Amino acid sequence: MRARMLMFCIAATVALGAIAAPAPPGSSQPDDPDTARIRREVEGLRSEHSLAAGKGFYLRLDAGRQSLTLMLQGVSLDEYAAHGLEWGIPEVVFVDRRPAADWDAAAFSKGRLEPERERDHLHFLAPPPATGASPDSGAALPSPPPPPKSAEESYSVPSPYRIAFAERVSLEVRARGEGGRNRSVFRRLADAVSLRLSDLGTAIGLGATERVRLRVTLDAEDAASLYRSLPPDVGLVVVGLPAR
Amino acid sequence: MSTGPPTRVANPPGGAGRPRLAERLRALARRRRVRTTGAPVILLFLGLAGTGWDFEGVPAVGAEMTVSQAKRPASREAARLAAERQRLTAALRRKVPRGSWIVIDQTHNRLRLMQGEDPVLEAPCSAGSGMVLKEGSGGRVWTFDTPRGRFEVLSKAERPVWRKPDWAFVEEGEPIPKDPGDRIEYGSLGEYALYFGNGYMIHGTLYERLLGRPVSHGCIRLGKAPLREVFRQAPLGTPVFIY
Repeated sequence: MRARMLMFCIAATVALGAIAAPAPPGSSQPDDPDTARIRREVEGLRSEHSLAAGKGFYLRLDAGRQSLTLMLQGVSLDEYAAHGLEWGIPEVVFVDRRPAADWDAAAFSKGRLEPERERDHLHFLAPPPATGASPDSGAALPSPPPPPKSAEESYSVPSPYRIAFAERVSLEVRARGEGGRNRSVFRRLADAVSLRLSDLGTAIGLGATERVRLRVTLDAEDAASLYRSLPPDVGLVVVGLPAR
Repeated sequence: MSTGPPTRVANPPGGAGRPRLAERLRALARRRRVRTTGAPVILLFLGLAGTGWDFEGVPAVGAEMTVSQAKRPASREAARLAAERQRLTAALRRKVPRGSWIVIDQTHNRLRLMQGEDPVLEAPCSAGSGMVLKEGSGGRVWTFDTPRGRFEVLSKAERPVWRKPDWAFVEEGEPIPKDPGDRIEYGSLGEYALYFGNGYMIHGTLYERLLGRPVSHGCIRLGKAPLREVFRQAPLGTPVFIY
């Protein structure tokens, strides 16, 4: 009986304590709109700060200014003006799969290009070392390698292309206008079909399972430039995106 | 799901004529052929009509955002967050170098010299060719890539001499000299060199017509006039960003 009374007292104390204790910051009590907005901005800044403290390259997508910037350690290396920015969520049979409200507060990592950029390293076998013969003695030397191609000659650029991040977020880059792409009609057709199939697969839960896709439209030259120069394993931080 | 033989549909009770449409459709669905082709048809329907992405445009904010940010915070929590926002913004701003810094786009072979947030010089350069050199006899392999990342100017030299590494001899089909003095070459690095680590440097070139193309062995080659300017304006410790 005494033990039962003791248990009752403990339970009652715990319950009273739970009711009376002030709520910890950021818990159940909803923020007013102004506080919620500043909280989102602070979370975004924290993510940006963590990326800037690392050694990897990252992209900073500023929804307010509509710009995409390639950054390293907080320093802007190249900035592209966007002509439009959208963000989307997959839906199946008109049912959306909405992510958590604060999905954009995190920093995203390990971005890789889709379709992948193909870099063809030229392989060159060194000629055997000449032994005693003078260079102009008429010995047959292999011809020197051809001068390497410029980036514009080396890489053709699909439109749109995507940068897919490990956190199931992707950034789709669309080109406005023509120019600088160096891509054949056949490859463009293949790109379009493969993108549509990939979209269907994502939407019905097959293959890659993106939860959010950001879509940015750049000038064709800028889109091509970004595709050709994007470093591997790039990060992403999104700032200024309004709540959906 | 049963895949039994197709069944015939009886006429509706009381109806002497043709079966009703609903019954005919039901009968059709029971046929195996329809079942096997049904799934792709449904998938096609979903693909065309019911699956995909729901996109929403994001408007540019610009000036409006600045005004709303300037408002006095409504609560104590908002004030705390606003102070943290200010602190984080300032910390990020401090990461931009104040003096000179160099940005190199090795894909497009462009070098930019910055002073704070202002560009002061932009010039074509030559970054690593990406070629892979294989040694016939020794089996060694060299890849002539320019490294990416943040570096800094560690030392500077006027009229630099090049101490040719092994690959320079292997590439030209020459025997590797035993005497270190035979590795020294004058003039091929131009007037100046700025070393940024691991044997990489920004230097001049004898082949200015190739500037703008990736032809180097990993170093950054620069034309005579811009090199002189970079050498003059970039002290030791100048950050070099290569992407």
